[in-house]
Amino acid sequence: MVKLPRAAALAAVLVTPVLTSAPVQPSTYIYQGTVHTVQPRASSLELITGVGFALRLVPMRAVAATRVERAGVAISLADLKPGDVVRADCRRTALGLVADRIVEIDRTAAR
Amino acid sequence: MTRGAAVAGLLVLIAAGCEKPLKPGDPVRGLSAAERDRFARGKVVFDSAFTPHTGLGPLFNSTGCGECHEDPAKGGRGDEVEVHATAFRGGVCDPLVQEGGFVIQQHTIPALKQALGIDSEPFPRSATGRAQRTTPVLFGRGLLDLVPDSVILSYADPDDRNHDGIRGRPNRSVDGRLGRFGRKAFVATLTEFNAGAFVAEMGITDPAQPTEENIGGKPIPEGVDSVPDPEITQEQLDLTDDFVRFLAPPTPARLDTAGRRGRELFSGLGCAACHIPTLRTGDSPVPALRHREFAAYTDLLLHDMGPDLADICLGLATPSQFRTEPLIDLRDAQRFLHDGRATTLEQAIDAHGGEAAGARDRFRALPPGDRAALTAFLKSL
Repeated sequence: MVKLPRAAALAAVLVTPVLTSAPVQPSTYIYQGTVHTVQPRASSLELITGVGFALRLVPMRAVAATRVERAGVAISLADLKPGDVVRADCRRTALGLVADRIVEIDRTAAR
Repeated sequence: MTRGAAVAGLLVLIAAGCEKPLKPGDPVRGLSAAERDRFARGKVVFDSAFTPHTGLGPLFNSTGCGECHEDPAKGGRGDEVEVHATAFRGGVCDPLVQEGGFVIQQHTIPALKQALGIDSEPFPRSATGRAQRTTPVLFGRGLLDLVPDSVILSYADPDDRNHDGIRGRPNRSVDGRLGRFGRKAFVATLTEFNAGAFVAEMGITDPAQPTEENIGGKPIPEGVDSVPDPEITQEQLDLTDDFVRFLAPPTPARLDTAGRRGRELFSGLGCAACHIPTLRTGDSPVPALRHREFAAYTDLLLHDMGPDLADICLGLATPSQFRTEPLIDLRDAQRFLHDGRATTLEQAIDAHGGEAAGARDRFRALPPGDRAALTAFLKSL
């Protein structure tokens, strides 16, 4: 059966680090989920991700270089609100996950 | 056509007409030997009872899939009722993950009870809604998984453009994909539903969700869970997934005169506007599941069911919106509706409100013989 690729793809999107080509570089983590909280002053947000009914909160931080986009246009972190669906490309640092890019996802186009 | 070919064709037709009806718990027809083997091996995992030593808990609703999904066969419904909690504020649904939501497990392993003195997960203080959920049948879910998104979306009519009072809306999973599983259509695929159920229902971590549930939002106390994660292997997860995926919808019973009248009424009253009688699967690597028409009686969309049934939100579903329940193996049901509040089909129909109020009122206005005919039809499913 073909469950392994499907489950593996799922895990890759939701929880597992995607290895970059150069092993010395930090891993990139990709999360797609619903915005739970946004705290622009603290440059932090939490995403709800998960599998089925088993949901998890993923806290992450934005930095000055973090690009936040909606429909291809740059927006600020404060423009995101709870309930929005985003994809966040993150890397793990000593301070936790840091998002390099956060893109709002149009639910009707989500796959 | 030669006489031999005609006879052969006739025999095929007779054989097709005489196929043994599929019973609850049977696999779909046409599986390969390897797929039947996986169905059988998956049933063993499905029917396993886990213990704290094999990963159960620390929080759980059940010790195994088969403990709840057992009636009238493995993969069926059960009499267990679980608790869900969410908060609905300003039109946004919070599944209260930070407080242990949205599944509030009703049991704890002895080590957790010893550490925290609790018998169940604490109910979230921030909850605005509490829901009870009965165990649904899993028959036919592999077919529902394969109905193309485009088919489901073709039934959606959120603005009621055809003015029939029925406004099917799609729900979306946390990452935005079209939802179809669960009473609120919150889960996009059967694989995710199964993988999530191991963790949320039994506290069994798996490769798709390798982290345990928190305890009311707090971490698991030191020493309570010593089994390394994930607590089942990918192969065990895949086998369970195949068992569920290959479970056939039982063959509807042959209709007598009353049943045929009931089937006409089902459409005539408007029930079939949401409970779409047949759906067709799309492509699949499993030939037995590919391009199959089956009796589904659902559109997999959300509909407002009125304030009396409202409980929790989930994803885009408001407290009063529920996914149209597939009417599969209805003949074996002892309790009806998402929380099991109805003990007869008539009570269940009577509890329909919101978008279903018109169909309900037309049912109420029927003479007793026609009401009996409709329920006779439903009991054939």
